Amino acid sequence: MSGVAVTDRPPGPVRRVLAATGRGTRRRVAFFLMLHALLFAVLRYAVWPGSWRRSIRAELRRALAFAVGGGLTTVILTAALAGLTLASQAIYWLGTAGEEGLIGPILVTALVRELTPVLLGLLMLGRSGAAALTELGTLRLTGQLRMLEGQGLDPFQFLVLPRAVASAVASFSLGVVFVTVALITGFVAGSLLGQVQISLLRFLSYVLGAMSIVDFMVFPAKMLLIGLLVALIPSLTALTADAGAELADLQSRSFLSGLLAVLVASLALSLAA
Amino acid sequence: MRDTQPILVLDAARPADIPGAPREPALTLTVAPGDLLLIEARNNRRAALFADLCSGLVPLGSGNARFLGQDWAKLPAEMAAALRGRMGRVFADDGWIGFLDMETNILLAPLHHTRRSLDALRTDAAAMAHRFGLPGLPLGRPVDLPSTDLRRAACVRAFFTNPMLLLENPLLDQDAELLGPLLAAIEHARGRGAATIWLTRSDVVWRDSSLPVTARLRLLDRGLVGERAAA
Repeated sequence: MSGVAVTDRPPGPVRRVLAATGRGTRRRVAFFLMLHALLFAVLRYAVWPGSWRRSIRAELRRALAFAVGGGLTTVILTAALAGLTLASQAIYWLGTAGEEGLIGPILVTALVRELTPVLLGLLMLGRSGAAALTELGTLRLTGQLRMLEGQGLDPFQFLVLPRAVASAVASFSLGVVFVTVALITGFVAGSLLGQVQISLLRFLSYVLGAMSIVDFMVFPAKMLLIGLLVALIPSLTALTADAGAELADLQSRSFLSGLLAVLVASLALSLAA
Repeated sequence: MRDTQPILVLDAARPADIPGAPREPALTLTVAPGDLLLIEARNNRRAALFADLCSGLVPLGSGNARFLGQDWAKLPAEMAAALRGRMGRVFADDGWIGFLDMETNILLAPLHHTRRSLDALRTDAAAMAHRFGLPGLPLGRPVDLPSTDLRRAACVRAFFTNPMLLLENPLLDQDAELLGPLLAAIEHARGRGAATIWLTRSDVVWRDSSLPVTARLRLLDRGLVGERAAA
């Protein structure tokens, strides 16, 4: 067979653009597929008792304390602001228009179903997610993952699994706190400003009465999924970082990916409901 | 009576080729219970690769590596991890998880691989820490400790669970005070049938003829070169 001469010409501008586009696309698709693989691995190993050795349980406790305990104050303050802006305004304007019956559906749709998951996801991304990326990124970039493997510890089981589970639990718990604080704060603010014509119990009954079975399913599903994503995306970004990568670059990339994932997850579950 | 099964066997084991990296030599080595192998390894990258190969962390292009009779390449991941838990390693760069405190760092492997109570592990680790000149288990995080204490703590982590030992440059030239406790711990380990592979790039350690080694080897571009001491 005659050989075909291949020249070593440098690629032209069109090929360079195609190569750059292809490289970026392949990287993002690979990341997306790895994220799904990691998600299924977490779901599988989280329910297997053999995954939870003492070392892993200790790491879970540490991650949970950081995610829930450390973020509680920020969540309460943010929820209070959300309550002041959204809940009190809804109570006032709907009360003024004589549409008190719509208070429940409006708040359930806006606050419980949409605002809480997204806002809390962003808060957790900026706190737990950033911390996870710093910790795991440092291990990766300094070659210390080798040290874990050398002692017989699986980096996924020790580093990723407990963080993901802790984040999911924290997300749901803090989500409940967020909704509760936002509703009560909004009601109290409205009362102090003389805008509220109804009692707290009646207000809460409007909200609870407006929640359907689907809402009681969608809210926990969103919080758990968003909690998993805000842990897995920074973890995956860190553990797949190239040698020589900068933590600052990884942080910004992780935050943007996480933001997109939170919004898409929230929208997808809302549409599916 | 000491078990005569070799602890580690490298049978023409050659790491799989990595694009862009030089081809590594095939390595042949048998480590018996009670052995103390002193291996001069000037190339840090090759020393780390060798240690990882002994630990089954490196995919092989040819040959095989067996630890306690088990071929690393044929073991399921969980079994391989459990076997690695029977190794004590002093890593060349100490190897600490920065976000964990020192006690957790030291006790991490036995907490993961054994069911021994935390109190028993703490007691054993504290006793080993005393032998290495520390007042007890270090407090705080790795970043809070001076490098000399970190090096001692690394020895505590490697030795206190009575494993087969893999020491990557545990002794720098400025750690003369650590030599006595290190040798005592090695001798104690050899007495119960463990083997020790001591990788060094220190001229002082390499030229020390008083070390009770069973073999002196050099890790070179062409592989392991050296000789065993007479029995």
